[in-house]
Amino acid sequence: MRTITGVLLMFYYVPTADHAYASTQYIIHDVDYGWFLLGYHFWGSSAMVICVFAHMSQVFLWGAYKKPRELIWLVGLALFAIVMGFGFTGYLLPWDQRAYWATTVGVEIMDKMPLLGDFMSRFLKGGPTPGQMTLSRFFVIHVMVLPAALIGLAGLHLFLFRCAGPAGPFRGTPVELKAKTDYFFPRQIWKDVVGMAVVFACISALAFWEPVVLLEEATPDPGDYHPEPEWYFLFLFQHLRLKMFSGEFGQFLGSMLLPGLLGAVLVLLPFFDRNPERNIFKRPFALIGWVVLIVSILLFTVSAIINREYLD
Amino acid sequence: MQPQLKSKVRCADREVGEVAKVIMDPLSHEVSHLVVSMNGAGERQVSMGAVQTVTDDLVQLRSSSSEVMALPPFKREDYVTLHEVEIPGLERHIHVTPGEVLVPFPDLERNVKRRKFFANLTYVTGLFIGLPLAFPVLKYLMKPMYAPLDNRWLKIGNIGKVKVDDAGTQFKYKRNVKEAYMPEAEIEKNVWLVKATPPVLEKVYQGKDMEFRDATGKAIWTNKKDMPYLAFSGKCPHLGCGYKWRKHKILGQVFLCPCHLSIYDASGKVLEGPAPRPLDLLPIQVSPSGEVQIIDMEFKAGTKSQTRIV
Ligand code: HEM
Ligand code: FES
Repeated sequence: MRTITGVLLMFYYVPTADHAYASTQYIIHDVDYGWFLLGYHFWGSSAMVICVFAHMSQVFLWGAYKKPRELIWLVGLALFAIVMGFGFTGYLLPWDQRAYWATTVGVEIMDKMPLLGDFMSRFLKGGPTPGQMTLSRFFVIHVMVLPAALIGLAGLHLFLFRCAGPAGPFRGTPVELKAKTDYFFPRQIWKDVVGMAVVFACISALAFWEPVVLLEEATPDPGDYHPEPEWYFLFLFQHLRLKMFSGEFGQFLGSMLLPGLLGAVLVLLPFFDRNPERNIFKRPFALIGWVVLIVSILLFTVSAIINREYLD
Repeated sequence: MQPQLKSKVRCADREVGEVAKVIMDPLSHEVSHLVVSMNGAGERQVSMGAVQTVTDDLVQLRSSSSEVMALPPFKREDYVTLHEVEIPGLERHIHVTPGEVLVPFPDLERNVKRRKFFANLTYVTGLFIGLPLAFPVLKYLMKPMYAPLDNRWLKIGNIGKVKVDDAGTQFKYKRNVKEAYMPEAEIEKNVWLVKATPPVLEKVYQGKDMEFRDATGKAIWTNKKDMPYLAFSGKCPHLGCGYKWRKHKILGQVFLCPCHLSIYDASGKVLEGPAPRPLDLLPIQVSPSGEVQIIDMEFKAGTKSQTRIV
């Protein structure tokens, strides 16, 4: 769906600094059902993030990343990164204030990466500050590079899954499992279709009742706008407000070291967690780690929302 | 039915061992030979012609056990596995349980004595194509990344707008930029001006004039320590958002950045929040008629020291 709506948007969208905003406004206000397609695309990206996150949690809690499925887990992490990448690059495309500032801050954070940071941020911006080159680059990444990577890696993900077979529930003897095992068609397909219909209905409802509204066109002067990223990046944004992450070193700690460590732990997870036990209630560290992560993400997200009120 | 790996092999007189490998004919896609592991007495290659019947777990041969023993030992080097060669369509004809399925090592290839050499040559040729492309592609993508710094003075308005001492007043101005192929465009930017009283000036300059240099180190301007007007770049040194002069419940009037709540006083000093350095001062001059001019500089956010990028 994301691809279909994305391609449809491209019929009208122009990725230039002087027309991106106007063309998006045109999609929203003039093109028949443009508001719906854009809304669907926009809310779909949230749905995608939720689904991917839920899926990762399930895999984690069910211990399905363990041998022999290490590679599937790694490819899955890459897919997660790609989905977040879609969200980050897509956000700039309408070229409104929200877009501009989310990108400005996001890229400044990337700049803090050791060694490669300056190069990476200039590479993405296509210059010292965000402008036309940034828009072109984000556009190409959003509609060409990431979709290609997504298709390739999703294929690999499924292929590896077919090789290793599903992990299944962690309880039950082989005999019980056999009795519950079913073919992919028709029952699994049926469940999937129902699931998809529910997701489709949710996204459509959101697109309908909460259509995308653009702020003013992007300029390096924020006016009265208080920059804030999309909700799924909010917790990252909020935790940088903490005292502990102040100053140059704190900043590095909060924006690079901590997320980097988390990433590294996730990547290495199937390799140091070699215990074949899959039942989550017998893996206290994994359970605690997961709960702590979720709770802190929720806390930061909620506190970011509460903080909004103090700003006006 | 194709013979299965691990099936027992029985001769006319007695059982002699089990099927260790099967050999496929790459042209007919049929099983042409079995490799029989002779219960510890080596391996023999038996033609399918000698096979009488095949069942699930048994291969019955016509010949006697002594005839089979008399065959020459199996020569593994003459064959390659299906992992090493790709024969289109062959997979579909294999009904053996996965294991060692062999096909004859083609004569033509067997005579290629220097397989390794050719493999390496392939890589080198690949590099030969790839490397000369890598550099141009990188340079192609890097073209706009390092724009030269611009030291023009920009008029931003009249100083009459500044009414109160030690308070921030925003000056908006337009700056013309020409990006690559785009028509020249105006972008809106802003700086904050402060008319500073001597104590604030002292805090900012600490008794020294402030010198600005260009990329080569040549001095371009000096802010005199007793000139009361300060111009702060509109970009928050934390992560680049835009901040405002506003009222804070406890700290009174301050510069506050809504992004991560960094707070600065009128001299640009960090009072609270995550910012790693004070607000960035810009070169400023005020003409006798009150015309304010600045050099629009931007510095990298998030670092203790200033690194100029615009
Ligand atoms: C997981 C996949 C994707 C995600 C999460 C995603 C996310 C987004 C987001 C958040 C926006 C900004 C919408 C707004 O704020 O108005 C956007 C815009 C856009 N996306 Fe995607 N996208 C995805 C896939 C695609 C694909 C596959 C294409 C095309 C091949 C595409 C084409 C576009 C275009 C042309 C826009 C600009 C429309 C506008 O001006 O708002 N997207 N995307
Ligand atoms: S960008 Fe100003 S506080 Fe973070």
